[in-house]
Amino acid sequence: MKKPRFGKIPGVLVAGAGILLLLPLAGLDVFLLDVLTIGFLTAVYAGSWDIVGGLAGQISLGHALFFGTATYACALLTSLLGWPFPLAAGAALLLSTAAGAAVGALSAPLKGPFVALLTLALGEAAHEFFLGQTFFSPKGAYSWGGEGGIPVQLGIPSVSPWTAYYAALAFLLLCTWIMLRIARSETGLIWTALSGSELSARASGVDIQRHKRLAFVVAAALAGAAGVGYAACVGRATADDFSLELSFQAATFAAVGGRGTIVGPILAALLFHPLLQGTGIPPAGRVLLYALALLITLRFFPAGVAGTLRERARARRMTGRKGNGR
Amino acid sequence: MSDLLLADRIVKSFGTNRVLRGVTIGIGRGEVVGLFGPNGSGKTTLANIITGLARPDKGRILFEGKDVTDMSMDARFRAGIARTFQIPDPYPSLTVLESVRVALLCGEAARKETEGEGPGFQENLDSLLVRTGLFAQRFWPAAKLSQGCLRRLEFARAISCRPRFILLDEVFSALSAKDEAELVALMRSLHREEDISFLLISHNPLILEELCDRVVAIEDGRVFWEGKPGDLAKYVPSAHHAHGDEGENHEGG
Repeated sequence: MKKPRFGKIPGVLVAGAGILLLLPLAGLDVFLLDVLTIGFLTAVYAGSWDIVGGLAGQISLGHALFFGTATYACALLTSLLGWPFPLAAGAALLLSTAAGAAVGALSAPLKGPFVALLTLALGEAAHEFFLGQTFFSPKGAYSWGGEGGIPVQLGIPSVSPWTAYYAALAFLLLCTWIMLRIARSETGLIWTALSGSELSARASGVDIQRHKRLAFVVAAALAGAAGVGYAACVGRATADDFSLELSFQAATFAAVGGRGTIVGPILAALLFHPLLQGTGIPPAGRVLLYALALLITLRFFPAGVAGTLRERARARRMTGRKGNGR
Repeated sequence: MSDLLLADRIVKSFGTNRVLRGVTIGIGRGEVVGLFGPNGSGKTTLANIITGLARPDKGRILFEGKDVTDMSMDARFRAGIARTFQIPDPYPSLTVLESVRVALLCGEAARKETEGEGPGFQENLDSLLVRTGLFAQRFWPAAKLSQGCLRRLEFARAISCRPRFILLDEVFSALSAKDEAELVALMRSLHREEDISFLLISHNPLILEELCDRVVAIEDGRVFWEGKPGDLAKYVPSAHHAHGDEGENHEGG
């Protein structure tokens, strides 16, 4: 008996991908196309949070650190050192992965709230540092950094918004597939166990510190990939890439969509990002909306929308397969 | 006597509270040893030190002749030292099958290095579930199981590493008579067929008399008495009291 590899939720995904593929043909204006392009990258970033924060249960409140490391690496390496973009992108991925390894090593011995505090502190330290840091161009002609940011040299003439849209969509689909594969792998199962009960996991032979480190590394690599894509699309790295809002955003999208479901946080990001950016709500209003969305979800879908739906499906399955009852 | 497991002169303090003051306990191959003691006598601390959840201040743990004092709990599980918990803590979002699968994955990885490819993983998983009587409930969320089934799940998890030794911490307390009888039968079959040694922690002298080859009583962090299970009530005053209280059975929760 073979288990169906692709159940209900990926069906939704295929339909969603189809709609997104055809959307530009319906005559979207360039502004909305841009918003959706960034939305795809934000969705990858939200999914990457779910790998470590949802699946492995290590609540990271400094996830922007991995994202910002990648955008800054792209900007600094291309603008300051004159590296070609693909090389800088590769280095940026390596650097954000290394940042994940470092944060993972520091937080692996810690429990629950202390992981959140540590990652919050590390993320904010990086934010403050890059906010105040000025970088000088090779001949000292320009100074870059802080809120103004650093340009990213793509080395090619400007890309059409349609190309960027489809490239970002392909990137989102690839990353979603990778993240779902991870979630359904043996390692994903072990991470779910670890997030449920560290004690039972240890008594089952799970090396929990190794797995916590691994989860941070994988999540940081994916967040870094989203950062590289963002740097390429926006053409600039700013201190905002390290901001607390960006870290909270990931955690909020995951809580609303359903922690540990991967698909939930991605869909939440796809829905919320265009809604917030496309309508031009000011940042203070956005934070209020996050709080409101969180309150409503926790009231009606305590495990997030996708999480609660999954629980209900499980409960149905349980009564269906009971065998001895009725 | 060649011990399978030896806890050698274990000392452990929490702050100024000296919980264990030099306890030595050996468990032979295929032996079932009972550990008796009143609340606060250091039973659970000793259990944690034997299974790697806590480190002793002094003393060492030997398993099959090797010093495992510095091994983590998960490494000890992979090496063949398993345990069950007094209060099971099931994974909230996993099914029974998935919960056992986690333990078998980690135990299996350890076994492959020593024995080569065993029989199919899925067969192993199914036979573990059948053996512990959980097969019918394998798709249930682990957290929805009854107390009796949760204890079986603890057994299923423990035996997934093909252990030579299992520490059972109050595994028979606060159960219905039927659940208790079934669990006792499961433990006996494991002992008989797999030659697993047990350290059975309990404050219930009746259970210890029924199941153990030998009983060690500890009190105030020291070994107070050691001998045949039948003599426990005769020599250990707290066991005598426990005998009298048996009808109330308000422990374990």
